[in-house]
Formats: sequence, C-alpha cells, structure tokens
Amino acid sequence: MASEGTTGTEKKSKAGKLSLRLRFRRDRVLILMTLPAVLLLLVFNYLPILGNIVAFQDYDPYVSDNGIVSMLHSAWVGLENFQQIFADSAFWNAVKNTLVLFFLQLVLFFPIPIALALLINSVVRPRVRAIAQAVLYLPHFFSWVLVISVFQQIFGGAGLLSQLLRRHGYDGINIMSDPSTFKFLVTAESVWKDAGWGIIVFLAALASVSPDLYEAAAMDGAGRWRRMWHVTLPALRPVIALLLVLRVGDALTVGFEQILLQRDAVGPGASDVLDTFVWWNGVRNQDFGYAAAAGLIKGVVSIGLVLAANKVAHLMGEQGVYKK
Amino acid sequence: MTPNAASAPSGPSRRSFLASTAVATAAVAGGMPLLAACGGSDSGSGGGSSSGKDAKKLLPSYVANNVVTPDIPSKNGSSIGFTSKLDLATLKTSVPKKLGKGGKVTIMAPFWGSPPKQDNAYYTAMNSMIGVDVEWQNQDGNTYDQKLGAVLASSDVPDVVVVPNWNMGGKIPTAIISKFADLGPYLSGDKVKDYPNLAAIPTDAWRRCIFGGKLRGLPMPSSYVTNIVPLYRKDIFDKKGYQVPRSADEFLALAKEITNAKAKRWACMDMKWTAWQMFSVLSGSEKPLGWNLVDGKLINRIETQEYLEALEWTRKLFAAGVVHPDAMLGKNAPDAGPKFAAGEFLIYPNDISQWWSRTAEQATQNPDYKIWGMDVYAHDGGNPQVWAEQPAGIFAFVNKKASESVIHDVLAVANTTAAPYGTKEYMATNYGVEGTHYTVKNGVPTKTTQGNNEVINAYVMVASPASTIAHPDFPEVAKAQVEWQQRMGSFTKKSSFFGQMITEPSRYANLMDNFETLEDDITRGRKKISDMQQAVSDWKSKGGDKLRDWYQKLLDDNGSSAS
Repeated sequence: MASEGTTGTEKKSKAGKLSLRLRFRRDRVLILMTLPAVLLLLVFNYLPILGNIVAFQDYDPYVSDNGIVSMLHSAWVGLENFQQIFADSAFWNAVKNTLVLFFLQLVLFFPIPIALALLINSVVRPRVRAIAQAVLYLPHFFSWVLVISVFQQIFGGAGLLSQLLRRHGYDGINIMSDPSTFKFLVTAESVWKDAGWGIIVFLAALASVSPDLYEAAAMDGAGRWRRMWHVTLPALRPVIALLLVLRVGDALTVGFEQILLQRDAVGPGASDVLDTFVWWNGVRNQDFGYAAAAGLIKGVVSIGLVLAANKVAHLMGEQGVYKK
Repeated sequence: MTPNAASAPSGPSRRSFLASTAVATAAVAGGMPLLAACGGSDSGSGGGSSSGKDAKKLLPSYVANNVVTPDIPSKNGSSIGFTSKLDLATLKTSVPKKLGKGGKVTIMAPFWGSPPKQDNAYYTAMNSMIGVDVEWQNQDGNTYDQKLGAVLASSDVPDVVVVPNWNMGGKIPTAIISKFADLGPYLSGDKVKDYPNLAAIPTDAWRRCIFGGKLRGLPMPSSYVTNIVPLYRKDIFDKKGYQVPRSADEFLALAKEITNAKAKRWACMDMKWTAWQMFSVLSGSEKPLGWNLVDGKLINRIETQEYLEALEWTRKLFAAGVVHPDAMLGKNAPDAGPKFAAGEFLIYPNDISQWWSRTAEQATQNPDYKIWGMDVYAHDGGNPQVWAEQPAGIFAFVNKKASESVIHDVLAVANTTAAPYGTKEYMATNYGVEGTHYTVKNGVPTKTTQGNNEVINAYVMVASPASTIAHPDFPEVAKAQVEWQQRMGSFTKKSSFFGQMITEPSRYANLMDNFETLEDDITRGRKKISDMQQAVSDWKSKGGDKLRDWYQKLLDDNGSSAS
C-alpha cells in the first residue's frame, strides 16, 4: 500500500523552469488520462486511510449502521490499543512469523522466477517455449482453496504420500499439519502457484537485450556462462532491483488467504502473520480498534522499509521505485 | 455512548478504563442491566425475579397446537417422537390461507453441506406456498462466526439473519441488540395468535429470544439434553465385534484396536465434544452456561479440573494416532460424511440430527451402512453427569430497517416453518414436494437424490415447532434418538444460568475469544496443558474475576436456575 503513496507526487521535478500553469497546459492530455486511475486510488486507497482513527478508539461498529457515525460514537482510548498490542505475545508471534516467512520467501522464492526466465529464454523452439510458459503460468489462476486442497490430497495425513509410505511399512507423515515445517510448506505452495507467473517481467526484460551484445561477446570468445554473466544478468539488474524494492516494501504482506485456510491445521502459533492477526481480532472477534492499531503499525513499518530499500537501490546505482 | 476524552497513555489498561464507563455500556441495552431475559426456569430454585415479570409481558401467549399425539412423549427434557407410518391423506393444514404478501425477503443463515441453487424446486415450492419470495444467502455453517461480525458491521444487513448461540461470541450480542427489530409489537401476548404455529412454540424457547429487554428473535426450540451424540458405524462394530466403550480408558483401548492407518482406517474424529460430556465439563456452547455455583462461589468451566482432564484425554487420542488426519485441519476439514461412509473412521461426535440425515443419505446406495448413537459413560465408567444445553439455541432476527410488510412476510415464513408434525406445512418444510423430493411407499417417505440435495437446512432455520423427532422413513432411528435423549436426560443437570438469555457487558466480550483455539492447540499437541493454566490465570486478571462478580450479582438479583 505504501508504495502507491510515494510514487504519485513530484513537487520539484527537473522541469522546474516552466511555471506550473504552463506545465499543466502542456501535459493536460496526459493528466486527463491518469484521472480515472487517480480517482480509483483516492476512493479505494486514500479515503479508507481515514478509517485508521478507529485505532485510537474502542470502536464499536454496531452502534450505528454507518461506519462514520459509529466512529463519532465510539469511545476514545488514546494509545491504549497500541500499549496492549505491544504487550500482546500473539502480536509479536505474528511479527516473528511474518518476518521469517518474508526472508524465507526472499531466499527460496525470489530467485526461482529469474532462473526460470533464463531457462525459458534459452529455449529456441517457439512451440516448446509456448507450452512451457503455459504450463508454468497455469497454477497462478488456481484459487488458494484449490491449491491447498491439491496439496492436502498429496501431502496430507491420509494423502497419497502418506498412504504410499504406509503401504511400504513406514509411518505416514502429515506435512500439512506440522507446525515446525509450516513455513516451508507455505513457501512451497507459493512457488508452485506463482513462480511461473513471476517470470513474465523478467522475460520482457530479456527480450529487450540487443542480440548485438551477445554476438559481440561471442566474438570476443565468451562462452555461454560468460555471456549470461556479463550480458544477460546485467540487463536484468534494474528489473531485479526494482522488484526487490517492491518486495521489501511488501515484506509484511506474506499471504493472507493462503495462511488463513491453513490456520486451523497448524494452529495460530505457527501460522499467524500480521494480516491474519488483524483479521482474527477485527473481523472474527469484532475488536476493530485493536485490529486497526495492528494494521497501522504494519503500514508505518512498511513505509519505512520501502524508503530504506529504495535508498539501498540508489546506493547500488539503480533507479529504484522513485527518485527525488 | 458519547465520545470520551482520550485517556492519558499512562492510564489504566483499556479494559479497566472502560469499566469506568459502565454506565455508557449499559445504555446500549436501553438503560437496563444487560441481562436481557431471566427469571427462573421450570425447575429454578429461586426463580421469578422482577426481570422475570418484565419478561412475562414480552412473551407471546402459549396456545397448544397438538395436531397429532406423539408416539413417544417428552421425558427428561427429550424431544417428542413420532414413529408411525405417514398417511399423506390425513395431513392437516395449519396455515389455511397464505399469510405472505408476496414481498421479497433475504435471509442469511448458516448452512452445513453444499447449498443448492436459488431457483431449485424446494425453494420455489416453499415460496409459493408461503406467498413470500425468500432469497437465501447460505453461508458455511462451520465458519459462520467469521462472516457474521463483518456482515453485521456493514450497512448492508440482510432482512433476516440467523444466529446460533454458539456464534454469539465477542460483540455479536450487542450487534443483535442494535441491529435487529423488536418483534414485540407483532408477537407479545395475544398478538401471536395471528400466527397459530408460532403461538404453539414453548415459552421456554421464546424466553430465550429476549435481547436487550425486547423480544427480537424467532426461536428454534430444542431439547435441553445435549445435542452432541457420539455417532458410530454400528454395522462395522457388529461385524468386527467391537463393543461400545464404557469408560475413557476403554474408549482409548478400542480406538487403538480399530485404527489401522495402513488400511486407511482410523477410530474417530476429534472427540473433544464427547470428552466434555464424559468428564462432566460445563457447557461451552453459550458463555452463561459455563458458569455454575459451587460451594457458594461461581466457577467457570475453564477453571475446573474436569476441563483440563477432558483436554488431556482428547490429546491422548491425537497422540495415539487414532484420530483421522482430517481432524487436524480443524474447521477447514472437508465434510466428514463421505469418509465416514467409506469407513475411514468409525466414530465422530456431532449433532443428533446427523444420526438420521447420514442414515437417509446413504440408505439407497449403501444398504449395509448403519450409523448409531453411543451412550456416553462417565470417564471412570459410572453414570455420566451431563450439563443441560439451552431450550433454544438458534434464532432468526429481522433487520431493524425492515419495513412493516417485510416483518409480516418474515412472520408468515416463520408461521409456516414452525408448523408441527402431522401438517402439510411440516412435510413441505422438512421433506419438500412429494414426487420430486420424496416418494411415499407403504406410509414410508423416502427422500430422492434431489430431495437429499435440496431439502437441507434453509427454511428450518427460521423458526421451528416444539423440538420434534419424526422420521417415518426410519422409525427405529427416531425411536433411538428420543430414547437416547431420555437416557442422557436422566443424567442431565442444569447449571446456574440455564434458560436465561444473558448479554455480557461488552468490556468482557472478548475475554474468551482465544480459548477454543487454545483447546485445539493443546489436543493436537502444539501447546501444553500448562499453557491453558496460564491462559486461565490471564483470563482471571484481565477481567474474568470481575465478570464473576457481575454474574454473581445477576444470581443474587434473579436467583439460580440450577437443578
């Protein structure tokens, strides 16, 4: 969420020589074209931000039929919600799970689409390439319910794998409800579902690499590996940096539906992440003020992460998400 | 509730801060103490309090409407039972003319199973019989609590919302009071006589419909004997020579004998609900039932030794590997029916209605299949001592914003669905359309496949007649169900707040929220019993002890219902 907030406005651009009015006239068509998107952003992303004030209330959504009226009628509690949250071990547990999942997915998930893109890119025959791409994209269009059901059928306690093991005299294993390996399970599910989809951006970047560069490198005696190292990867670098920054900004969002569906199977101790913590307290337990406070903390930390990641990208000489 | 000045950050905790605004909280309930309805029950030791008198004015008059004399009369709190053959020609008409005005009514209700399409033959037939265009918004009953809070917080509440008492956690009771209409002007006293089938609903069930000092609910009366039966595959038990276990240890031993994971067979599903009964743990279905006066002090179920013992026993079952792996998935587990039919597990605790519904759904394709209910024994082998449930546990509420004509239409629906056994309306509500959803041969109605797919849940959720068990298709099941209730009923005791509808102050509303999750963590070996003891002591200090005082005051004012 935070990333949208930082891209929109650029107060001091390099075109500062022109007056604002002139620039507006010059760009009016472009501005008009962005208007619908800006409106959507305002209505669905910015307006709801105002709702964050319930984080400072003991919000009772049932006082009135109208959320705003309910806010006016709910008691102000200052920072009580935040004090409670910081003292709540369930919250810290959710933070821990969120961060563990983020780092795990960064290490185990993030490189896979890059590798796949390189692989696909090296396939010469268009037909094979099209089929491979289709197969890789497909799971992205399955809902999480379906993905988890499939995993359950295969890796569950009464699933294919367990029954196969039992038939051969071993103990069955219930991977689906083992809290200790839950983080790997979640990562594996994400990889299966979305790694294929993630290659699209990288493929586009690869397509833009001029064949001349490869030819020139080959002339200079570079083999396959050297060509990849010195031509292909540098071409991907800006994209990788951009996606990394975006990913870091989203670090505290590690999957909601996917985890919610499996929350009961492993218990909240292993599965609760910030988003499910907010959901459980807000929607399930109707403690909206408390949940909003947790959400607000998450938002603030996320903004900090984006800024930091962007800074790092700049230091590395990359564009990042935005530039001052 | 007026906006309060923000308290200083160094102030007391939020919950105790709110305690100082008790007056503001009480205002939600209309200036009355949050106790909605009370007064003693039939067997109350000190019933008949002042609030009881107030309730009397709100309650609809009772006009008996016995169309057919039951084959098995109610005893020990059981339902009434019907086992005779069905004669369609002698069915009475309890709603002589359509009461509906043809309006549209949206109803959100929990649904267990796969909901049929909106324009299916059952819904169409019911709607045209009632004269109301009911549009169902069926939601998964197992996760209903997760939807309810959000729907009630929105500005788009359906005309009617069905809420079971076990989903009344958190702030839901406050929501009920502020979002739903007062039906008193239509039903209190003699006004109910416009709807004769509603007038025949027992007063104990109506008493439970008073929320915030107003009659707001339409009840589904139920037997106060526990509705959770350990159901088992009698055919496989008989074939293998297994005996119904008579103690906790016997159960575990049998479970080990049954389990053969290699052959894809486990003994049972999660037996926690049965464990509550075996170890005589106070009911957890509704918060007030969890309190009981022991030696002059109110104690909550979570503070008892029995509670921990029941959890420990359930944990042992999981640890022994005798529980079907699906049970690990908790609420997201797939429907147990097909796996039970396939013999993947042989015992599971569930609502008594499944004794019949699972029988009926397998009858044609699986003639050997026989599901039966086990008697519950005390964990040490003696007679059990089971705690009473409420005489009504599921309620339908009408949106406060609904127009008068919508309310009349809803009552028309309720008056039809509450028709007693022996009427055309009862058959239509419970069996559907003859020829389409069921066929009758020799006085025995059999549901067709279409009937099994379409005639489930929905209309029965709006309002029901006095708790009835009638299965002319499986008279032996109906008989066994009622007799099970009567046997268990003889071991059933009422706790201090039995029969009352109590709304806790909202500052305590979230105290119990995480106990169910913790129970499941413990039984599945993810947390320890000591974690529960810690949670209980946290609960006490965070407001549990104050809540105890609050309940104690209620008891002092209104008397106990205990038996």
